Amino acid sequence: MATWLVRRLAASIAIVFAVVTITFFVIHAAPGSPFLPAESQHLTPETLRRLSTEFGLDRSLPEQYLLFLRNVVRGNLGQSFALRRPVADALADAIPNTFTLALAALIIDFALGLALGIYQAVRAGRVGDVVSGNGALLVNSMPVFWLGLVLLLVFGQWLRWAPVGGLSNPVLCPRLDSPACGLDFLWHLTLPALTLGLVGAASTARYQRAAMLEVIRQDFVRTARAKGLRERRVLLVHALRNALLPVITLFGLAFPFLFTGAVLVETVFAWPGMGRLAVNAIFQRDYPVVTGAALLTSAMVVLGNLIADVLYAVADPRIRVRSETA
Amino acid sequence: MPTPRTRLSDRRIATLALAALAWLTACERPVGCTGDYCGTLVIATAGEPDILLPVVSEFSVTRDVADRLFLKLADVGPSGNTSGDEDFQPQLAERWEWDAPTTLVFHLDPRARWQDGQPVTSADVAFTYDAYTDTLVNSPFRPSLRQIAAVTTRDSLTVVFRFRQRYPEMFYDAVYHLRILPAHLLRELPRTQWHSAPFGRAPVGDGPYRFVAWKAGESIEIAADSTFFRGRPHIRRVIWRFTPDQTVAVTQLIAGDADAVEVLVSPDNVQRACAEPQLACYPYKGAAYGYVAFNLAAQGDTSKPHPLFGDRDLRRALVMATDRERLLHNVFGDLAKVPPGPMPQLWWIWDPEIRGLPDDSGQAARLLTRSGWIDSDGDGIRDKDGHPLSFRLLVPTTSAVRRTYARLLQEQFRTAGVDVQIDEVDFSVFTERARTGRFDALIAVWNSDPTPSSGFTQTWTRGGFGRSNYGRYDNPDVDRLVDQAVVSAGSRDQARRAWRAAIETLNRDAPGIMLFATSNVAAFHKRFADVTIRPDSWLAQLATWRVPADRLTDRDRVEH
Repeated sequence: MATWLVRRLAASIAIVFAVVTITFFVIHAAPGSPFLPAESQHLTPETLRRLSTEFGLDRSLPEQYLLFLRNVVRGNLGQSFALRRPVADALADAIPNTFTLALAALIIDFALGLALGIYQAVRAGRVGDVVSGNGALLVNSMPVFWLGLVLLLVFGQWLRWAPVGGLSNPVLCPRLDSPACGLDFLWHLTLPALTLGLVGAASTARYQRAAMLEVIRQDFVRTARAKGLRERRVLLVHALRNALLPVITLFGLAFPFLFTGAVLVETVFAWPGMGRLAVNAIFQRDYPVVTGAALLTSAMVVLGNLIADVLYAVADPRIRVRSETA
Repeated sequence: MPTPRTRLSDRRIATLALAALAWLTACERPVGCTGDYCGTLVIATAGEPDILLPVVSEFSVTRDVADRLFLKLADVGPSGNTSGDEDFQPQLAERWEWDAPTTLVFHLDPRARWQDGQPVTSADVAFTYDAYTDTLVNSPFRPSLRQIAAVTTRDSLTVVFRFRQRYPEMFYDAVYHLRILPAHLLRELPRTQWHSAPFGRAPVGDGPYRFVAWKAGESIEIAADSTFFRGRPHIRRVIWRFTPDQTVAVTQLIAGDADAVEVLVSPDNVQRACAEPQLACYPYKGAAYGYVAFNLAAQGDTSKPHPLFGDRDLRRALVMATDRERLLHNVFGDLAKVPPGPMPQLWWIWDPEIRGLPDDSGQAARLLTRSGWIDSDGDGIRDKDGHPLSFRLLVPTTSAVRRTYARLLQEQFRTAGVDVQIDEVDFSVFTERARTGRFDALIAVWNSDPTPSSGFTQTWTRGGFGRSNYGRYDNPDVDRLVDQAVVSAGSRDQARRAWRAAIETLNRDAPGIMLFATSNVAAFHKRFADVTIRPDSWLAQLATWRVPADRLTDRDRVEH
């Protein structure tokens, strides 16, 4: 297991390194300049040259890359051109917000997806299965940003059941320093998390239904029922554990979806996370922020996949045995 | 029948719920402010300041926040007049006088204090001028101060500005861009580090509001300084909520998450917001105008004329072939006007009587034919010497208005026998190509100061080469007339005549198609009273806005 983990960790680091390297060269190759963000700027050509020198952009690209790598190793992600603050500070502000959103969406995704998948499998072929299955397909077919806009319009603007954007009410809760403000934060989190979570849940439910259907027809389930166990215990304890493997794979795959989906959801709901930060940085050619965001996002996605692999091994002893004997 | 274990769980849940309720109730914010000095204004805005150090940033939202924190010596009055000093209102300076035609003396208000308790002195003013003109700081306002030769102190409350020459807007130049900074807090900071100074994320000012908090990507809060020497503002808290775009900002306003939006921008947004019973709309003059700029120089060699737009008759024909009223109506409805020249409605020289080329497609067609541009091969596109009359129009993908205009222009030009290919590029690429002259024509939008003196010079004279005169328009007569208007005019009427002559000359040369000059509409929650807007700075008169005691909501009363 330890050898396997070390191998996976090494592969993960290599993947992150590749992503960051590609991002670095692609964003530098993109046309446009980081110092020309507005038409009415009074920047003279001399000033532009001075800024380029100050930020090291007058050096060759390989030189800039080596400098970037050296700084990253030292834990320095550089200074944002547009935000006028260290990249690490900007990311530190944004990461918890994206992480919270992704986590909430993940909980909705898997709680709802698993429950719906089990329900559909148990009721396979009946009205409940057909209606919920088509409903899930409909939600799964919607672009995330469009679903977000619909939820925002219906529950935010028309019904006014939920706030239409931001992390919290800036008047009543400028800081998260009271339980009421904690609830206010959760209230603000509802629509963005639902948007991301619902789309994921629709997909998870389809996988879970198929896996569950396969398992509940197997002999050991029939045996459990024959032993007189209650149906709930048969399904949730005996069948579910065996039907979880494909869903754990899905868990690993959910991370890239959550982070790319977060870009759109954060924009629709004015959620100040990594997605919005990265998109703005790309438009502004804020190279240090783009590469910093790529570094962190890829690290989180790789970590998510690693966790999924570990969970897979925990859920299926056969995998553990194979890796230990390999 | 429930098992004992279930009963225990139920009891546990009930206990937890009660505890949570008690906890929440105990921690509710006290709601207590009453009277005339409550009021919380939440502004939804697309965009976020880069830094709250006004010397290094020119973003409009930075200005909105920083102008509440830092005082100028004096400010433009409600009339918006920028000539002379009669219409200016004191801020940090309690009075001023002219010692000589080019020597201006300000007397600071002795009551002025920095919010850390230090007095504001003439040394702060001299320090500020030095910072604004320092090449290491690279302030975007440095070019506006080029006529000021020196700023010196006479005593702790007296500061002297010496100008290089006398001109109508010298007072404006001395006060409009300079937000006085605290020397005692910034003197030790190396000037090269001002662009990312920690001070800029937690500033200490001398204005009617003090900085409270900045949550990156989310909001900035400022609070009224109850000891402010010019009187405590009625609105106690002002909060800017940052949104990804204007549509989200308007949605927050309509949903009640915000109280105000500066500009509704599109007719759709105006319709949405102004139809809401709880909101009031306030129209005011816009500071922006949009135009097609023709590139008069060849791409790659600015010493040679552009193969198409080097021809004045062709440019004139294209201007006349454009039905600008129809375009404007399609894009803006009633929210803009066709400008009589390159100017926003805000400028005092705005005059519909200024002569320009007519929108006349018949005359345009005749001029094109007379110039040899005819459709010789019957493909619907005019040609000359085997070359089709075809060019590329550059627009940024980020501007829906400009993209729509580009498509409508493409269609209008097609009917005139002119082929237009649209290049939509992201904003960074757009700006780079504009600055380096790599375009045939582009649609630009200029957001201006309240006076044409700096904006017009940067965009339409030789002094704007390498800056915002993207098309390299160059007419010595226009430069001379502008110089006359800005520098040597003895009175506002003389300046107006010079401006008019310059613009009519420019209109005849047709270096671009002046498409629109925006009219702004702001929207506010109706509980706000005495709202007046100065078009060049919509929050300039915030100190007089208030929420009457009988209209206060929980949002206004909440204490922290």
